[in-house]
Amino acid sequence: MTLALIVLIPFLAAPLMPLAARAGRGVCALAAGLATSLSLVLLLADAPAAFAGADHRWSAAWLPQLGLSFSFAVDGLAFFFAFLILAIGVLIVAYARFYLGPADPVGKFYAYLSLFQGSMLGIVLSDNILLLLVFWELTSLSSFLLIGYWNHLPQSRQGARMALIVTGGGGFALIAGMLLLGEIAGSYQLGDILLQGDAIKASPLYLPALVLILLGAFTKSAQFPFHFWLPHAMAAPTPVSAYLHSATMVKAGIFLLARLWPVLAGTDAWFLVVSLTGLATMAMAAWIACFKDDLKALLAFSTVSHLGLVTMLLGIGTPMAAAAGVLHVLNHATFKAALFMSVGIVDHETGTRDLRRLGGLLWLMPVTGSLALIACAAMAGVPPLNGFLSKELMLEAAAGTTYLGLPWLFPLTAVAGAALSVAYTARLAFVAFVLGPRHELPNHPHDPPVGMWAPVAVLVAAAIAVGAWPGLAEGFVAAAARATTGGALTELHLALWHGFTPALAMSLTATVGGLALFWQYGPIEKARAALPRPEAKRMFDAAFDALVRTAERAIAATHTQVLHHHASVAVIAIAAAAGAWFLLAPHAPGDRAALPATVPAVAAWLVLAVVAAALVLRHRDRLQAVILTSVVGLIVSLTFLQFSAPDLALTQVSVEVVTTILMLLALNLLPKETPAETGAGWRGFDAAVAIAVGLGAGGLAYALMTREVATISAYHVAQSKPAGGGTNVVNVILVDFRGFDTFGEIIVLGIAALAIYALLDSALRGAAARRLAAMRPGEESRDAHPLLLVVATRVLLPLAITAGAYIFVRGHNMPGGGFIAGLVVAIALIMQYMASGYAWAAARARFDAHLMIGGGVLIAGLTGAGAWLFGRPFLTSTFGHLRLPLIGEVELASAAAFDLGVFLTVVGTVMLSLATISRVEERAEGPKPPPPHRAPRPRRRAEAEPARSLVPTEGG
Amino acid sequence: MLLMAELVIAAFILGGAFFLLVGSFGLAKLPDTMRRLHGPTKSTTLGIGCLLIASMIHFLAERGAPSVHELLITLFLFLTAPVSAHMIAKAHILLDRPARRALPDTGQGDGWATLAAPSRTAGETAGRTRQRAV
Repeated sequence: MTLALIVLIPFLAAPLMPLAARAGRGVCALAAGLATSLSLVLLLADAPAAFAGADHRWSAAWLPQLGLSFSFAVDGLAFFFAFLILAIGVLIVAYARFYLGPADPVGKFYAYLSLFQGSMLGIVLSDNILLLLVFWELTSLSSFLLIGYWNHLPQSRQGARMALIVTGGGGFALIAGMLLLGEIAGSYQLGDILLQGDAIKASPLYLPALVLILLGAFTKSAQFPFHFWLPHAMAAPTPVSAYLHSATMVKAGIFLLARLWPVLAGTDAWFLVVSLTGLATMAMAAWIACFKDDLKALLAFSTVSHLGLVTMLLGIGTPMAAAAGVLHVLNHATFKAALFMSVGIVDHETGTRDLRRLGGLLWLMPVTGSLALIACAAMAGVPPLNGFLSKELMLEAAAGTTYLGLPWLFPLTAVAGAALSVAYTARLAFVAFVLGPRHELPNHPHDPPVGMWAPVAVLVAAAIAVGAWPGLAEGFVAAAARATTGGALTELHLALWHGFTPALAMSLTATVGGLALFWQYGPIEKARAALPRPEAKRMFDAAFDALVRTAERAIAATHTQVLHHHASVAVIAIAAAAGAWFLLAPHAPGDRAALPATVPAVAAWLVLAVVAAALVLRHRDRLQAVILTSVVGLIVSLTFLQFSAPDLALTQVSVEVVTTILMLLALNLLPKETPAETGAGWRGFDAAVAIAVGLGAGGLAYALMTREVATISAYHVAQSKPAGGGTNVVNVILVDFRGFDTFGEIIVLGIAALAIYALLDSALRGAAARRLAAMRPGEESRDAHPLLLVVATRVLLPLAITAGAYIFVRGHNMPGGGFIAGLVVAIALIMQYMASGYAWAAARARFDAHLMIGGGVLIAGLTGAGAWLFGRPFLTSTFGHLRLPLIGEVELASAAAFDLGVFLTVVGTVMLSLATISRVEERAEGPKPPPPHRAPRPRRRAEAEPARSLVPTEGG
Repeated sequence: MLLMAELVIAAFILGGAFFLLVGSFGLAKLPDTMRRLHGPTKSTTLGIGCLLIASMIHFLAERGAPSVHELLITLFLFLTAPVSAHMIAKAHILLDRPARRALPDTGQGDGWATLAAPSRTAGETAGRTRQRAV
């Protein structure tokens, strides 16, 4: 269970962050830090098991039919990565507290960061590859949010989108690859798959699975040719870059390669593809990094280069090379996170990250400068720092690799890559920090507060410790390496001094070569500038635009934008299917006796027929169409009454009223007539379709009503009182028998209201608002809020609310219920908006409609969940009788609380949608004269309602 | 049920039906909006009132207890019907130019509320314009 908690804590913490942010930035950072530390402590508790190689797993069924289970396991490798994620996570949380500016919403930042952290932990701890895929996609999504955190900057949005498209696209390939892998192994449990290495490598599906999985891993880890997204992701705030590109996001691909190493590595295909991709990425990215002037861009390409290095090591396929790869993951995470944070400090303090403008920072900010220089030395592989250890191992592995009969390819390229790495690191270190200042800086830089450089110091200390005393990290890395290689690695010994080996010579060559490159930087830069350079972003954008154009052409070729063509296709298809069924089926008449045709029934039927005919003739006049449609609604409610369904009749009437108000409000802003959209030919065709469908639907209704059909109604009627505790069957069905449906429906209602609010909010600003203002009717009444109407609605309000309360309370046993009561109360409140104006009513509304919707759904949900306390399924209802003095026996049903939730949601929904429309309307009509009958009382709430800026606020 | 009660109920229903018919007839037949308004407001309200009284007597005679629903309905009706008529009349004044010309003088400083804002708010209107300019 604790294993699952490690992953779940960040997810649980994420929604709390915006709440914590209300208490202040420090509190929010503290909360995020506490959540991360809690996960870290739980993880450390599992350390002994992970180091001992014990099988520590936890599992719960999720969708066992699909092989998806909620299972987690920790071994050396998972522990290694999870530790990096959480330990560096704590440092990032602390650093971000001081990095983010006063204008940046911290709650949002920490919420996204927690989500991302949880997703990463999910990837490394999942014991089920389908679950791993879920978390894999979650990292793509949450990293999108993090990279696009500064969503007011275009490069942020573009960078975030590019990262999402590349990693998300790779995620698709990965899904296919993982499914193939699961098919081959016959199980989606990682533990089972890892035991079947030989069977998987022998399978004919091995190659496609390998290619697809590699696509997923390479896109995530920014391997050539998918490396281009990573530099653009640098538009994110620096804490995000430091986290995503040192310990987490890009390491997910590396983790996947390491995790599946026992089952995928060791074949020719693996070696040829993975090692060469890594080698090429390493050399190419290091070359580009040498010529970047933006410090973050330089670090970005250096990250790509180091990821290439690890990929190459995993690709070589020997256990020792894989161990070196794992070691370098640790080393890279420490020095790269430290460097990103240092660059963030430089940016923060000087206002620029441009190498051409920076210089001599070591003397201006000694603490940051020293820390950054040590981190640089680690990155360049200077002894006795940790980068040296992994560089030696890398060169040793490369020296022993023969690729396609070319013994010199790997050693030579590896030395070149290492030399370039030394060159760009030297450039970063010397130009920015050591050599004297060359230009005036935008701000006068000095060392930041301790909170900002302390995380860097911790990482640098780790880099020194691991380098100087390799034994410290040996057990940690060895456990991870053993898990990676599936036990093939027998012994790992890390040391600074291995004697005079070929690797040492290569390392010296690389260092000298790198410094020489730095010495001769000017001429080389000139020569390179003359070379043609492919611009990855432009190519990506062009490819993307081409895709969009193709999609648009395909849509234009296959779609029509005329709504009624869509509708007629659907209607004709349904009619054809039903007609075919009808022709194939027997046509015996029903045997149920018909009810007598009474005079009122015939009259109502006649009215319906006349109204329908009139609607067909007059439908272009919108006002008449609304009135005629409402007649249909009234007749329908009379029909309900006729067949003893007073509940439905009440509902129908109140829905009718609300709909009509909504329509009239909307019509005010629409042209009075709809334009003629169809020619005579189409109209004839449409008429034929309509008549055919009408006859079909009528026939169907006739056929059904003349037959005895067994329905569930009898059960509902019989069980209403004994099982549901109410005599009003309709209400008991709504709140009890089909309570889950109702619960879903109120959520949909709430979402619809919020969507109306969100869509219409844009009508209050900018071009849309101006267009609306231009639609003002020619002449308006000078008294927008007539005295008589204002007084009448205010007198009616308490009466209507009383009626609503009455309808609500009697609902369980008599016609009524939360839904109808909600509509009645909402109508009464809406009348205030209509009579006294939006501003007047909004200023007096004590309950926020958003709050009512949320509260209603919450109450209904909690009532349902309350059943769990008694060990019953969700929404099990109960009822009892209570004897109160004076009042007598009162029935208490848990369903009433649920009904209260329905009531609140309905009121909130109607209020929010109608009030939003009326607010748009008020804006469209410009400033109104003030309501003349303002009660002399102070404003209750000082909320900043945008509409009020147009309406003068006289003192009450 | 008592014959007497039935007779009274029947009388009220018939009376109500008569007023409803007259109201509907007036709505259909009278020449212009202002006169047509009389039908659905006065006559029909009276007719429905008769029906509600009939209903009250019916339930009083049948159950022996007075029914208050009808009183509430009456209250709602008496509140809403005049207001609706008032609003229709105002809309008519606003939209129908000849009707506007035919309006008599109010006999006070202010004109018809629908057409001109009361002079009391004129100063405020000017103030608002300034406020918006800021």
